[in-house]
Amino acid sequence: MPGKPKISGSVVAGFPSPAEQYLEPPLDLNELLVKRPAATFFVRVQGDSMIGAGINDGDLLVVDRSLRPASGDVIIASVDGDFTVKTYRRDKDGVRLEPANPNYPVIRLRPGQELDYFGKVTACIHRFAGKK
Amino acid sequence: MIGLVDGNNFFVSCERVFDRRLVGRPVAVLSNNDGCCVSRSNEFKALGIPMGTPYFQLKDREASGELFFRSSNYELYGDMSRRIISTLREEAVDVEQYSIDEAFIFPPTTAAADYAAYGRRLRTKILRWVGIPCGIGFAPTKTLAKIANHIGKKMPDGVFLMPDDPTEILSAMPVQEVWGVGRRLPAKLRAVRIITAQQLRDADDDTIRSVGGVTLLRTAMELRGIPCHEERDYDADPDSISCSRSFGEPATTAEALAESLAAYTAQAAAKLRRHGLLAAGCNIYAQVFASGGGGDFLGRTVVFPAPTDATNEMLRAIREEVEALYVAGTRYRKTGIVFFGLEKPGTARQTDLFDTTPPAEKSRLYAAVDALNARYGKGKVFSAAQGLGARPWHMKRQKLSRRPTTRWDELMTVR
Repeated sequence: MPGKPKISGSVVAGFPSPAEQYLEPPLDLNELLVKRPAATFFVRVQGDSMIGAGINDGDLLVVDRSLRPASGDVIIASVDGDFTVKTYRRDKDGVRLEPANPNYPVIRLRPGQELDYFGKVTACIHRFAGKK
Repeated sequence: MIGLVDGNNFFVSCERVFDRRLVGRPVAVLSNNDGCCVSRSNEFKALGIPMGTPYFQLKDREASGELFFRSSNYELYGDMSRRIISTLREEAVDVEQYSIDEAFIFPPTTAAADYAAYGRRLRTKILRWVGIPCGIGFAPTKTLAKIANHIGKKMPDGVFLMPDDPTEILSAMPVQEVWGVGRRLPAKLRAVRIITAQQLRDADDDTIRSVGGVTLLRTAMELRGIPCHEERDYDADPDSISCSRSFGEPATTAEALAESLAAYTAQAAAKLRRHGLLAAGCNIYAQVFASGGGGDFLGRTVVFPAPTDATNEMLRAIREEVEALYVAGTRYRKTGIVFFGLEKPGTARQTDLFDTTPPAEKSRLYAAVDALNARYGKGKVFSAAQGLGARPWHMKRQKLSRRPTTRWDELMTVR
């Protein structure tokens, strides 16, 4: 609009509501748990291989693919075609995937074998009543 | 500069993100009703099995464990498509989704120093974030970007920047492969000795106009590096049925959002009918206004109860999703719709039955349909028999993978 003065802010008609300026959107779990929606996936846990890390059978995991894995992170990776949740370790002995349950073996990558990484687990959602 | 990004073997690549056993194997995704191959892995292509090969001809080779097949999982592909566009939105000034697996991008000025490096960065980001390998081509116009993308796909790094003088590339390219030239024109073009893309580019305007009208002239201009394809629905090209527009002023109300999407749905549906096609579903999206580019991308995937070309059925199917796109207080700069799963209705036997039934038979049919409805409750059978354009069958998808991004009860499981 050339020549016309620019008006910033909104024009108030009627009675101004004193509550208006305090109005905020309600808290949203997505905002808290999903930083990058395009890269975030939800997966379901089956079994108790990570029970020592607080990840139970039936829990829901929030997985962010955009994050690179660092040693000590809980990650999702595919091993021989199956997806698994384990703690990622990388040191002088190579790369391994550690369960958090003594009944399960540590998975070691063979020399030259590349990790088929899916994403990093950023949250675990555990529901008490019912698994759904 | 304009970029064209497209997902390599897109449907197969989506399947592979969630099923790692399919990696490195000959896999194809089948069309609606498990009819024929519509997306093939490189390993599948290497066996020399062409696009469109009917599934029944390949069943033996599937049983023997040589080939792998999946039904079209549009819920999954639509969601992965949205994720890619959303990722692109963060890196580009504007994104124009052209089909479920293709989008034009308008790079920021900061990319101008090295478009190839920018393209490689985008490609890596999409591969990491979403898991889909892409090809990217850059050129001054959309038509040239299409060509650059085609070359990029075959490059080891997936990216190609059209040289300032593309003559060499255009002279090696048959004119019918140019985007928008279509299938009928080449014969006419041959008559005026236009066989390659370079010959079309260099022909005089009157000749071009006499053969293919203003549409072909626009294509020639684009080959000359002069942008002519503004944001519009690409009517000459039935491969993609989409419609999107930017608002003159950012839209802020739920009504404006809903009305614009309804209008584009009607326009795109009319195009479907012109081409005699049905769509299995659509992605609807809205881009959030942000000064200086960027801004969020909101999208939803809708799979229709049955493939359709009827506007009213589509509007009914997308209504709830449109509401879900609206967030109070948000300023929207653009909305759009992209159809996917396009097919000719003749490929479904049941449809032919309805189309060829004589009127007398039809009244008996209605009686039967009414009886069915009385027994099983009102449903799709009723509206279809009314000739509203619905097809009274559910898509056959016997080899459907899970829908791990849109259904809570179909999540990927990890042990």
